[in-house]
Amino acid sequence: MRFADKAGMAWSSLLRRKLRTMLTVLGVMIGVASIVTMMGLAEGLNRQSLEMIEQFGGLRTIEVREGSGNAAGTTGGTADPTQYKLSDSTMQTILQMEHVESVYPTLEFKAIIQSGPYVLDIFGGQAMPLEVLKDMKWEFAEGGWPEEGDDLQFVFGNLVIEDFADARGNVIYWNTGKVVNVDMMKSKMFTILDTDAYEAAKSNNNQGASTDTAASSTDTRAAEAGADASGDTKAAAPPKKYTIPTAGVLAGELDDYNEYSWYTYCDMDALIKTYKKAFKGKAIPGQPVRKNGKPYNELFYSKLNVIVDEIENVADLQKEIGDMGYQTASNSEWIAQQREQSRSQQAMLGGIGAVSLLVAAIGIANTMMMSIYERTKEIGVMKVIGCGLKDIQQLFLIEAGMIGFAGGLTGLALSLLVCFIINRVTGSTTAVIPYWMYGTSIVFAILVSMLAGFAPSRRAMSLSALEAIRSN
Amino acid sequence: MDETVISGRKIYKIFKLGEERVRALNGVSLDVKKGEFVAIVGTSGSGKSTLLNMLAGLDRPTKGEVIIGGNHIEKMSEDQLVRFRREHVGFIFQAYDLLPQLDAIENVALPLSFRGMGKKERTAQAVKLLKQVGLEKYMKHRPTEMSGGQQQRVGIARALVVKPEIIFADEPTGNLDTKTTIEVLHMLQEVVHGKGNTLVMVTHDRHLAGYADRRIHIVDGEVVLED
Ligand SMILES: Nc1ncnc2c1ncn2[C@@H]1O[C@H](COP(=O)(O)OP(=O)(O)OP(=O)(O)O)[C@@H](O)[C@H]1O
Ligand SMILES: [Mg+2]
Repeated sequence: MRFADKAGMAWSSLLRRKLRTMLTVLGVMIGVASIVTMMGLAEGLNRQSLEMIEQFGGLRTIEVREGSGNAAGTTGGTADPTQYKLSDSTMQTILQMEHVESVYPTLEFKAIIQSGPYVLDIFGGQAMPLEVLKDMKWEFAEGGWPEEGDDLQFVFGNLVIEDFADARGNVIYWNTGKVVNVDMMKSKMFTILDTDAYEAAKSNNNQGASTDTAASSTDTRAAEAGADASGDTKAAAPPKKYTIPTAGVLAGELDDYNEYSWYTYCDMDALIKTYKKAFKGKAIPGQPVRKNGKPYNELFYSKLNVIVDEIENVADLQKEIGDMGYQTASNSEWIAQQREQSRSQQAMLGGIGAVSLLVAAIGIANTMMMSIYERTKEIGVMKVIGCGLKDIQQLFLIEAGMIGFAGGLTGLALSLLVCFIINRVTGSTTAVIPYWMYGTSIVFAILVSMLAGFAPSRRAMSLSALEAIRSN
Repeated sequence: MDETVISGRKIYKIFKLGEERVRALNGVSLDVKKGEFVAIVGTSGSGKSTLLNMLAGLDRPTKGEVIIGGNHIEKMSEDQLVRFRREHVGFIFQAYDLLPQLDAIENVALPLSFRGMGKKERTAQAVKLLKQVGLEKYMKHRPTEMSGGQQQRVGIARALVVKPEIIFADEPTGNLDTKTTIEVLHMLQEVVHGKGNTLVMVTHDRHLAGYADRRIHIVDGEVVLED
């Protein structure tokens, strides 16, 4: 018997009992809809948590910092002291590794910014290649990135302003909840690059007023500052102050938290140029020195940001780099944890939905059983006039499959509607049905229905033709 | 044309009802020749239907042999029996037993679809046979939209459409009035004599049995007379 003929017969016997067929389909529809909606909710929650991780600094980023080499098992005694520091050659080595998409360096810098009575202590400033910064595609509230070759300029995160403290070091925002009256773009701000000297000066003369009075006379550009940089004197001379313009402030309200919110950024080349002038003959702050106190020729970065091709490869690559002797950090553990959590969430929510599909499956089995009792005679006649046993079984399986298909399709539509409504009501993407679930849910509904129809179909097959035609 | 198509050898059929044993057939032997119209006649409960079911391969004898066209029916598996019926046998039922959701054409074409024949071809054959039984006006009618006589003619067309070597009919006119009964019996006679089919018909009515070429009389599961 041809498949099309079997399908046609199955279809016409479904049509014969329209109401019963519809009720059975309704059962499957509700079962499928509840599973898919629950899974959609779980998926939505999962995506929300991944988005949160993204805000905290990327899902595919590994932060590499200089290491002590312990992990590699080699003793650092005789080896090159710069072996586990981060140089350009380290960057190249990592770039050659598998699954590495790109690597960019960060030089962390310190600075003190004074504006009126307020002091801003920058200790994790991020100096990066300008093109990397521009690639971030961050939005600005004011201003923008400086241009290539410009003198040093700062870009502030939207929350940096909350870090301003008074002269005693009390952070204003945390104590009063008020933002200081400083316009990051326009207010006069003096920047101290030699923070060590600043600290030393502060502890030496507690009057504190000296720095303030000095401020007015040291409104000098960095270029001039280099001329008399003889800061070797043991006397705690007040450090030089520079006026470093603000190139921009990144977008965001005071309660918007972003990966950039708390940071101060600048072009790494511009910073180094400024540093070299300000610290002529000495090591740039934060850079290591040789045993004889002289700086190295090459620059060592504070960290390398390694972008991995796929989230799945982050953990392995992190381990590999760690084994090379560097310190590494990433969100991979967190991501793994999140995934584990969302998987169990999905399983739980899906399980709740599965119960209703189970009920629907019992409904199918029941409907099929009824239909077989009703059609005992018919089945018998078909057998007598030569319908194959396999064909009889398949007739009923196809019938069940059709119920499953109709239920799966309508159930999917219903769950899309429900998710749409949920998202409307909550105002965010709380429930997401991924595309793969479209096909899967329908196939699943068909399979479950056919499974439910299996026992009835066996029964139809094994009905005695003789008994069947005798029953009247 | 003396070829034997059906041959029953000492057929016994014993039904067990709890402790009780019913001897429905008690050593029946018979031969049916090709192109013959044979009637199995007997009173109610004599074992006619049981015998027909054995001969048609719907049931297995407790003891004995049924040989059709050289094949031992009693040794076949259920699957083989279905295939055998599909290829060699046509059935006409007392209650017509058409499928209610199918129209006349579809009902007649049904056995052909079991053989895997395409829709176009089998519809053409069904139409041809419905014309032969005089139902050209009722092709698209469903069973509920036809009289008993019309339904039985559809049933005959359904049995004939597979060009069976043997047709089995159990009380084919049992539900029909006298006039229609005679029409149907004439039609069956025509089929046998015109086309050379073999027909085995069960009836309790001696008068109707008169339409057959030969009668096998059964009493209490035993053949008592052939004429
Ligand atoms: N499945 C069965 N189980 C038990 N006994 C049966 C079964 N089928 C038939 N019999 C018995 O076998 C005997 C013969 O039955 P059968 O149906 O062949 O009679 P029949 O000649 O066709 O009668 P009728 O003219 O009423 O159809 C009867 O006594 C009947 O009770
Ligand atoms: Mg009978």
